[in-house]
Amino acid sequence: MAMRDYAADKEAFKNFFIDFCQTDEEGHKLFKYSEQLTKVAHREQVAFVVELDDLHEVNEELAEAVCKNTRRYTNMVSDVVYEMLPDYKHKEVVAKDALDVYIEHRIMLEARNHRIPGEMRDPRNRYPPELIRRFEVYFKDLSTSKSVPIREVKAEHIGKLVTVRGIVTRCTDVKPLLVVATYSCSACGAETYQPVRALQFTPPPACTADECRVNKTAGQLHLQTRGSRFQKFQELKIQEHSDQVPVGHIPRQLSVYCRGETTRRAQPGDHVAVTGIFLPLLNAGFRQIVQGLLSDTYLEAHGVTCLNQSDESEMAEALTEEELAELAEEDLYSRMARSLAPEIYGHEDVKKALLLLLVGGVDKRPNGMKIRGNINICLMGDPGVAKSQLLNYIHRLAPRSQYTTGRGSSGVGLTAAVLKDPFTGEMMLEGGALVLADQGVCCIDEFDKMADTDRTAIHEVMEQQTISIAKAGIMTCLNARVSILAAANPAYGRYNPKRTIEQNIQLPAALLSRFDLLWLIQDKPNRDKDLELAKHIAYVHQHCTQPPSRTRALPMRLVRRYVALTRRKHPAVPTALADYIVSSYVELRREARNARDVTFTSARNLLAILRLSTALARLRLSDIVEKEDVSEAIRLVEMSKQSLQHVEENVQRGITSTDRIFAIVRDLAGSNKTVKIADVIERCVDKGFKPDQVDACIEEYENLNVWQVNQVRTKITFM
Amino acid sequence: MHDLISDFESVTPDTWLLNEELWKEKLIKLPNWFQIPLINSNASHNLPDGTLVRFRGMIQDMHNPEFYFEEFEVYNTITNEIKNKSGKYRDTAHILEHEKINYTENLKSGQRQTMVVVSIPGFNNWAQDIEDKQNHLKHLEQHPNTSKRLSQAGPKLKRSYDEAEEESDAMEVVDNDGNKEPRTGENENVSANVVSREHLLNFPLPDMPSKSCIVKIYEEREDLKLNDMIEVIGFLSVDPALSGEFQPEKDPLLEPQLETEIESITHNPPPSLVPRLHAVHVKKLEHCNPLVRESVDQGIILKEANLAREHLLKALTELLLGDKLAAEYLICHLIACVYLRQETMNLGQFCLNLSNLPIQKYPDYAKQLYDIIKQFVTKSYYLPLTINNMNTLALLPKKDYDCNRLTSGVLQLSKDTHLILDETKMEQGRLDATGVSNVTALGNLIKTQKVEYDFKYYKMDFNSDVSVLILSEGKSLLPSDYHVPVRPEESSLEIFDAIVEAATYYLKEDVMNIIRAYLTNIKLVKYTINEDIKFVEDDFIEMRSKASPENPFTADDLHRLLVLARLVSLSRGYDSLNKECWELTKNMENERLHRVKTRTASTF
Repeated sequence: MAMRDYAADKEAFKNFFIDFCQTDEEGHKLFKYSEQLTKVAHREQVAFVVELDDLHEVNEELAEAVCKNTRRYTNMVSDVVYEMLPDYKHKEVVAKDALDVYIEHRIMLEARNHRIPGEMRDPRNRYPPELIRRFEVYFKDLSTSKSVPIREVKAEHIGKLVTVRGIVTRCTDVKPLLVVATYSCSACGAETYQPVRALQFTPPPACTADECRVNKTAGQLHLQTRGSRFQKFQELKIQEHSDQVPVGHIPRQLSVYCRGETTRRAQPGDHVAVTGIFLPLLNAGFRQIVQGLLSDTYLEAHGVTCLNQSDESEMAEALTEEELAELAEEDLYSRMARSLAPEIYGHEDVKKALLLLLVGGVDKRPNGMKIRGNINICLMGDPGVAKSQLLNYIHRLAPRSQYTTGRGSSGVGLTAAVLKDPFTGEMMLEGGALVLADQGVCCIDEFDKMADTDRTAIHEVMEQQTISIAKAGIMTCLNARVSILAAANPAYGRYNPKRTIEQNIQLPAALLSRFDLLWLIQDKPNRDKDLELAKHIAYVHQHCTQPPSRTRALPMRLVRRYVALTRRKHPAVPTALADYIVSSYVELRREARNARDVTFTSARNLLAILRLSTALARLRLSDIVEKEDVSEAIRLVEMSKQSLQHVEENVQRGITSTDRIFAIVRDLAGSNKTVKIADVIERCVDKGFKPDQVDACIEEYENLNVWQVNQVRTKITFM
Repeated sequence: MHDLISDFESVTPDTWLLNEELWKEKLIKLPNWFQIPLINSNASHNLPDGTLVRFRGMIQDMHNPEFYFEEFEVYNTITNEIKNKSGKYRDTAHILEHEKINYTENLKSGQRQTMVVVSIPGFNNWAQDIEDKQNHLKHLEQHPNTSKRLSQAGPKLKRSYDEAEEESDAMEVVDNDGNKEPRTGENENVSANVVSREHLLNFPLPDMPSKSCIVKIYEEREDLKLNDMIEVIGFLSVDPALSGEFQPEKDPLLEPQLETEIESITHNPPPSLVPRLHAVHVKKLEHCNPLVRESVDQGIILKEANLAREHLLKALTELLLGDKLAAEYLICHLIACVYLRQETMNLGQFCLNLSNLPIQKYPDYAKQLYDIIKQFVTKSYYLPLTINNMNTLALLPKKDYDCNRLTSGVLQLSKDTHLILDETKMEQGRLDATGVSNVTALGNLIKTQKVEYDFKYYKMDFNSDVSVLILSEGKSLLPSDYHVPVRPEESSLEIFDAIVEAATYYLKEDVMNIIRAYLTNIKLVKYTINEDIKFVEDDFIEMRSKASPENPFTADDLHRLLVLARLVSLSRGYDSLNKECWELTKNMENERLHRVKTRTASTF
């Protein structure tokens, strides 16, 4: 490889700093680097940040060279900036501290010594550049470059600029680190400077100034702390995120050395992205003799940024072509629903509901009032119907979630607790599961066994999405914008359909009505389904894999990313649909009055339908809610109600689906003699019937001469 | 053939590097590795630095990879010679007094993985004895503490070696005082460098003799996972200078501390205690039973299975006071292992709860039972579930960021370890926060075969495959897959002590060895279910239709039946499911469920 022409690069940097400008929205030209230079010259800014994005725009090749050999270019830019600074100094700067005064004196001294042109100064007594520069040069990585997993940072990255992500496990105190040691000689008084690049240094044995050398006095050197240059220094240890660790391995760590402006950016437990140069560290001194053959490595930080845990970049990555093709294959909605916990057989409607919970509805704030968009679901059912597995799966799928049991949470519990800091004695708030799951899902198993204090708090969480605290002098309101996924066991071991839900679950109606959907998962024998189930299980045992179903389950990662994508949409309900929703709601209310209803049909149901429909629209990545969304939402609500009603009883009384459809048609007709078939189908689908069942019913009663159907089959006329 | 082995006795890292391929080939071709000293059985202090040795153990922790100098130059200041050296398979550079390493040029660095390997936790005495017998090399003891090792170290380091020996003696004294906690915080700087032997060895199970090694692996091995059992062949490195206790005094003002002192001590224990091993070959072990040969025909195993089963059944039936059903279940339990893992479901796990044990009459019944079981199985651990144990023991491994290592816990076990929980020892009392989390951890292990390791900032699940046997008086407070209330026969109940004696007499070494080999071999057999299993489907539908809300029969029950059927078939020497075994299985489950039901009825 040919050597790079560094002189040319230097020139290129100079021009880049002078010329680079961006135009902002208002058309002003913004000379980014000139402004930075001015600020640095006036000591208003210490860090001089070069964005590789900008450099890439102007000089692609140079930007790549910088990435590959960052340390060298850091020094180069430092030189360039130093040379350019006097041009940008427009006013006299007041010395801020002792070091400024020192620097000023030194520069003046140097100027005086240079009065005789051509005189060569002893290189040892020349000021090292670090001593008189008060700025620091940092590079900002290209925004297109991907972060490297800590595990993959290897020997080939040495000397290069890399960006890693991780969690800070340890950070030391910020300490002064010697950058240039200044010594004065006891015999001749001359100053000697020693730049320190490593973490250790060996002081020079004797004075090497001309006077001492000529006189052979070998004067002793004394370290001058005030004349030396120190820099802030902090070491961080970062550790891989749990999802970057291969199964069965221990998370790896990386040391990060922060100097100057990059210190004090993170604390243990923070998620950070660190850009820096990966460098080997040579051990000196005794350790070198002992280990001899080892070198530690570290990352010299150029930028440390704390990441919010929720805005993980992985989610932001656009879906690839193949993934899009895979998603577009067929009915995405049911396919994604089936991909949730594929090992659990059946329960498709429940899974659909859980998918909508993950996607979530749209928050609304009409006139400052807040209507939550998060969907709350409660799963009830006999022991051993895979409720906990479903919860567990959702917990792992959701990017932000907390899993807890109603009684298992102790101390901080579900809501929040006030704790006294053992060191400072200050009171602090510690969030419980609901607070930690803010903007995520909180899975609560054994919801019925919750502590009373938590139960009262959860009322507020489920509607207002906040937790108010008034404890130990702290009064505050914490956000808890969570979707609650609860699982409850029936009070008497098994669900008794003859009793109401409150009696079965032993939770107050006020709490139960806050759930958008209540599902009762029951396990009833049914010959055909059992055979299918037996085949399914036998297959698993025979082949040690899941049977190849008609639709392949989507990988968890893809589902997760797609859900993240859908959450960016904010679909609205068009006014045209309002009538339809209202009439459906009125219908629900009317039915609830008539039938022996075990659930509560209230205004909350209307909101639930709206939430579910917006979630469905989001799932289609659409900005407008359509009629199909609403009818599917109504169908889910209807199905969840049906799961609570005692279906078996109906069957015993001999009420078939045909009979029920007939009843619907009769209701629809009312006093009129004719009904539109389109209306019939629509209403029946809302109630959870399939169109072919409707057709069968129409035909059957037509044969019985109860009604007549016109030729184009659009209208039913009662006889 | 003999000279091959003597070759391996004298090989050094340098000669190995000259022709690596050839040596590796030779090593693989070696019919057995008994002549390469196994440091589990041969004390490492009898071996000189740089010899080729073996070690068997479980990966307990993985450290960050190390960068080392694969090739470097040494400059001799007296003769002005330049030599090329390699840092592969060694820790120290072995340079002479007037030699200098050229750190700036002609340097090639490589990366190696560092793992902490401890001797397999729960390895039972009988297995250790057999292994010692196979691997003990007498001639090593004749020339102990060779001069070779000391001649290589400089004069300054020789002294420190003696110190190392003294230090480790001193540490044992500290242990006796019960001071097992590593000193941390400020006092560590004052009286530096005293950490206990337990702290350095970091063994999962307390009160078990163990060895540990730091193994450096030169190839990228993604397949080596935590808690895997491995056999390592590599060069021993016991240069005492490696001990982290001999760190020079540092000036904290001028040098920021990169590693805390406690960390460097923990990472660099005295090599006399924890030898370093530079691996040339790493083999993953499927089992560690010394009685099981590597290549045995599956057909022979199956043919011999019934004989071994008869012996075992007879002994266990007697020990379980004449309860044959419980004995059958116990056999299934002993040969169970997880064979399928999925997102939310594992197949093959077989946590057995034997309840209704006669502890009124024989308070130590559970322990006595365990003492016999541990004679059969290769790896086991007995954990009395006392309130005190629950509140004080560290069951879950935890990352210690002060020392930067994974502090082991009791539940860090390799696969196919038998964990026996004795609930009969539990008394009434109060569990504190540790106790609650320990009980939850046990419950999670039983239900999901996963152990949650605590990395402070997040938790990570590690798969485990540990068969848990719970011995209790009533139904256990922990969940279990199969709960069998034992029904002791009156006649046997009277003479239990005599039974134990008779059993030990009956179970002679050769019978024992048959059973021991059987229990491991059966786990390795490949089992299939034929396509035609209509009888299973039909039975399921029938059972479903008979099910009532009081006696439900769910999909989980079918899973459970199929797992049991697999073990019933295997234990009898069938490698596929047939109708006969299926019927047997159904009857076993029916009888068991009947017992469970009548038992609960009686308590009401």
